[in-house]
Amino acid sequence: MEIRCRINGENMTLCAEPQERLRDVLYRTGFRSVRDSDDAEGFAGSDTIVFNGKLKYSNLLLAYQAENAEIRTAESLLNGRELNNVQKAMIAAGIVQSAYNAPAAALILTWLLEQKPNAGREDVKEALSGIFIRDAGYEHYYLAVKLAQELRDFGEFRSEIAPSFRPNLDIIGKPFNKIDGAALVSGEPVFVEDKVPENAWTLHVLRSPFASAYIKSIDTAEAEKLDGVAAIITAFNCPDTYYMQAGQGNPEPSPHDRRLFNKKVRHVGDRVAGIVARTPEIAKKAAELIHVVYEPQAAVYTVEEAMAEGAPLVHNGPVKYNAGAPADLDEYNRRAGDEREGDVIYQFPLGADIRKNIAASNKGGIGDMEKGFAEADAIVDCTYQTSQIQHTPLEPHVCYAHVEGGRLVLNCSTQVPYHVRRIVSWVCGIPENKIHVIKERVGGGYGSKQDILIEDLTGYAAWITGKPVYYRNTREEEFIANSTRHPMRARVKMGGKKDGSITAIYMEVCANTGPYGNHCLTVPMNSCSKTLPLFKVDNMAYDLKVFYTNTPPAGAYQGYGTPKGTYGIMMAMAELAEKLGIDYKDMVQKNHVEEGYMLEILKGLGEGREGNVVPVGSCGLDEAIEKGCEMIEWGKKEVSEDPDWKIGKGFAMIMQGSGLPGLDHAEAIAKLETDGTVILNSGGADLGTGLDTISAKIVSEVLKLPMDRITVVSGDTDSCAFDTGAYASSGTFFSGNASLVAVQNLKELILKEAALQMEEAKDDLELRAPGEVYSKKTGKAISYGDLSHTAISGTGRGQMIAHGTFVTAASSVPYGAHFAQVAVNVKTGEIKLQKFYALQDAGTPINPELALCQMYGAVMKSIGHSMYEDMILDKDGKCVNANLTDYGVPMIDDAPDEFKSVLIDVDDKYGPYGAKSISEIACNGAAPAIGIAIHDACGVWIRSWPMTQEKLLKELGKI
Amino acid sequence: MIYKPTTIQEAVALRAANPDTSVYLAGGTDDLRLGSDAEGKSLIDIHGLCSDSIEEKDGKLYIGALCTLQTLKECDKVPAFLREAAGFCSSFIKRNSATVGGNLALKRSDSYLAAAFAAANALVLATSPDGDVEAPVSKYLRCEKACLIRAIVINKDVTGWVKRFGKTSSSHATLIAAVSGNTYALSVSGSEFACGDTPDLAAGMTFCDDITGSAAYKKYLAETVFTLRR
Repeated sequence: MEIRCRINGENMTLCAEPQERLRDVLYRTGFRSVRDSDDAEGFAGSDTIVFNGKLKYSNLLLAYQAENAEIRTAESLLNGRELNNVQKAMIAAGIVQSAYNAPAAALILTWLLEQKPNAGREDVKEALSGIFIRDAGYEHYYLAVKLAQELRDFGEFRSEIAPSFRPNLDIIGKPFNKIDGAALVSGEPVFVEDKVPENAWTLHVLRSPFASAYIKSIDTAEAEKLDGVAAIITAFNCPDTYYMQAGQGNPEPSPHDRRLFNKKVRHVGDRVAGIVARTPEIAKKAAELIHVVYEPQAAVYTVEEAMAEGAPLVHNGPVKYNAGAPADLDEYNRRAGDEREGDVIYQFPLGADIRKNIAASNKGGIGDMEKGFAEADAIVDCTYQTSQIQHTPLEPHVCYAHVEGGRLVLNCSTQVPYHVRRIVSWVCGIPENKIHVIKERVGGGYGSKQDILIEDLTGYAAWITGKPVYYRNTREEEFIANSTRHPMRARVKMGGKKDGSITAIYMEVCANTGPYGNHCLTVPMNSCSKTLPLFKVDNMAYDLKVFYTNTPPAGAYQGYGTPKGTYGIMMAMAELAEKLGIDYKDMVQKNHVEEGYMLEILKGLGEGREGNVVPVGSCGLDEAIEKGCEMIEWGKKEVSEDPDWKIGKGFAMIMQGSGLPGLDHAEAIAKLETDGTVILNSGGADLGTGLDTISAKIVSEVLKLPMDRITVVSGDTDSCAFDTGAYASSGTFFSGNASLVAVQNLKELILKEAALQMEEAKDDLELRAPGEVYSKKTGKAISYGDLSHTAISGTGRGQMIAHGTFVTAASSVPYGAHFAQVAVNVKTGEIKLQKFYALQDAGTPINPELALCQMYGAVMKSIGHSMYEDMILDKDGKCVNANLTDYGVPMIDDAPDEFKSVLIDVDDKYGPYGAKSISEIACNGAAPAIGIAIHDACGVWIRSWPMTQEKLLKELGKI
Repeated sequence: MIYKPTTIQEAVALRAANPDTSVYLAGGTDDLRLGSDAEGKSLIDIHGLCSDSIEEKDGKLYIGALCTLQTLKECDKVPAFLREAAGFCSSFIKRNSATVGGNLALKRSDSYLAAAFAAANALVLATSPDGDVEAPVSKYLRCEKACLIRAIVINKDVTGWVKRFGKTSSSHATLIAAVSGNTYALSVSGSEFACGDTPDLAAGMTFCDDITGSAAYKKYLAETVFTLRR
């Protein structure tokens, strides 16, 4: 039907089916700002439009309802290419990060200011109550509205956006608009979905209804007869290549325990068949026509079930090793089961025993544990359980692949373009030069896009069919067939003396890696390797085992295993302080490391290899603790007027890393263009956090060149050089340092070329703004443009291009302390988060406003996993709350009443301009801080995530 | 199939003729959402057939079935506890679409409004295939008969109190309680709606485990909620 309506002030006629969702019609018509994050759940707000003057979810309107309607989309906010005040303010405030629904947020706030020009905090809160923000948190949205009002009223921003650092530097450490902010907030076609042509074919995946089953047979004949079906890929016709989906350094510390499709399905939602069809409708019809005969098997869902004697085995095929195979491997493999189990191939030993469902294990420590516990005046021995958490990026996993010029081209939303290329190369059996991976803007990753969860199959489907193939996860698939935070059980035994000194810490960690071993060793290792090194304790040991189960898969999630280990170890310390009768703060201060302390514990805590023993470097931990205690008034007991409400305070010290020294590798190429501008090709993958802006700022700082004369191209495997990717908090430290090395090398080339052209000694020359070489001796100057022009002339010496590589054994560890104040109703069990203060040492925050927002966003995620979020499986392993509403992500109304992020000023020796990582660490503190605050309020310890009203009532003995 | 009847009677007749294969379409926040029971069914669009505003007459407020939750929340004439109940739909954007009539007609056990309207002794004005009907909300919620709500009527001076428990602001409620005068009402996830003139409603209810909480937890809240300070 034809629908006449007015969109963004223009009369238009839309062609649509009457029952089509209006969002789909608008997007198809070219209004790219109207996105979809929830498959029409009416939750996330990425599909928000103004419809006849009211904000509405366009997914919950049908096309026919738009007849004669007046519609506004975020495209209406632009005046030509000029952003409106709200959009400018959002970028300035630092909230335009992964930004998948930033245009929708801009539209909502613009609408608000039209209705209420002087809108205050409560108005903003109400307006944003229907939009889900996962990346930057909600706090700086209030600031953005204030800034927009100032820009409107005074023509300039008057409020402080973020503190500035390093007065000796021009642009590093100062708030400056994110370089891709305008494209993102205006709704430019910058995401994968925007690159998909109309003729793209659909990839649809038929998924297992069983948690564990052999596939006896698959009959695809009837489905293949359908017009418009190009291929159906199953375990019986896919390559016999074993690999794993984690994007980690090669060789990976994870087993190759899967193929594209397996003859045994291992979780509800596991792949059974991939259908390449002309349309989604044909693909779904074909899926219905595929006849699968399953042989259901008994399944295990928890580590307790997996470790039980005689437990069903998740993998029971032959085990192979590419290096370090044990001598009794042949004997071990005689116990292998059905041939449909498939292989499990370790790159090197990880302490696995798949006949006991153990995917990996590790143990180690320092000192004498027996002696340490014997010296203790009190010992606590408690177990803390964390739950299965999903990343819920606003942009689900998407990939578009096509063949061009005999090469496979993949447009990806990924954190690891080079790992995507390598794994797709393995799966397709084609060399890497035949594959071009283009990382588009990433609409939220948080670790889930560190894994190659869909690119393997999408790439293969395009390669074998020659069709342009598009795949997009549904929101349900994001939960059941994606990666999640490993559920873990951490037992912490800690002994201490009456003076508060800790004599021994023992951590026993049992982790659930689900059906496949992605990150199976490294995530759980982080629960120890990023917690034990916080302590100045002579006797420390850990013992961790990771179990296969038939739950939805686990993988990398921001913070890796650290939030779980931190929850256990800090809660245990608070429990020990209580038992010893001493103040928790005193105990923290007595036992935490300081600069120079040699971290012997790190020796055993590598990524499956021996770790580096290094001293503690720059460390803002003490300042973070002191300042935070002042802010929250530690020691002062707050009393509510209502006796049912009890108020308590808690905090946790935290640490992380900045990439993986000795493993990570980053490269960049800096080119002086013919007019004196610079293009930096960075291997790094900006996933919305501002890594490209960091690289641009580094170029600007070194070359004294204005930011608008610098372009960063990143994450493109054809045009950029290798980088392991954006994970393990490596972006700023590794990719940023590679950019720094490249541009420092370019500076050398510029000075050398200028010395020749100016006929002066190189040592007499220096670079100065706005991009020229200046002679301190003669006062002469030459612009980069003139310099470059001559260099590339018929008699020139060639374009100035510099390459930078960064590897290091040095460790730059960010530290911090997070504080919570809660109010607990002892009658109803309600828990209100009154205050949250996040204080972190990030070294030099290169983008301070973005850094603050990453802290707010990460804290909100960790508040979510601490208090609300939990994937619930039924007795058959099916996730029963695989949508945003039931799963329970926090919205603006769930944010703390008072929320502050504070950057502790510490200069680091190794990071670019002293920078360390910022965002992952911010996931680590909320759970223990809230847990300790709950105990302070009402005297009970909640030792499992999420810390809910119901659990509190149970602990209080009410139910 | 989308039907666009021009009268309430026509809409009711269409629904009666297709009882298992059609639903009324009002705000669309339930019918058109992911996983809706309405998926695959014909839609009977009732826009324009009922009022979407709130009118005062003879000390009573007539709330049109198509009045949105946001209109209800914003209207100064509406008693505060009912406005608060409208806010239990935490999304402002969703409140702009979701309708009062739709929320009651769904008869969900986590209805935003059912407890508050029942406690307020509100009347439902509806049309059934047999003609117009009028019933207290509490009775309407227990009634099996299909009818189309036209309006809700309340005394404009009614006072009361509501309380919601739920995992997050935007998740489905575990329990919503309301009191007005001597009328108590409880919506509990997975349970039959309860309303009465004493606060011991829990005694007559059955509770079940579901994703919003265990039966024991819900029972405790149901037993406790009316003892809370107001």
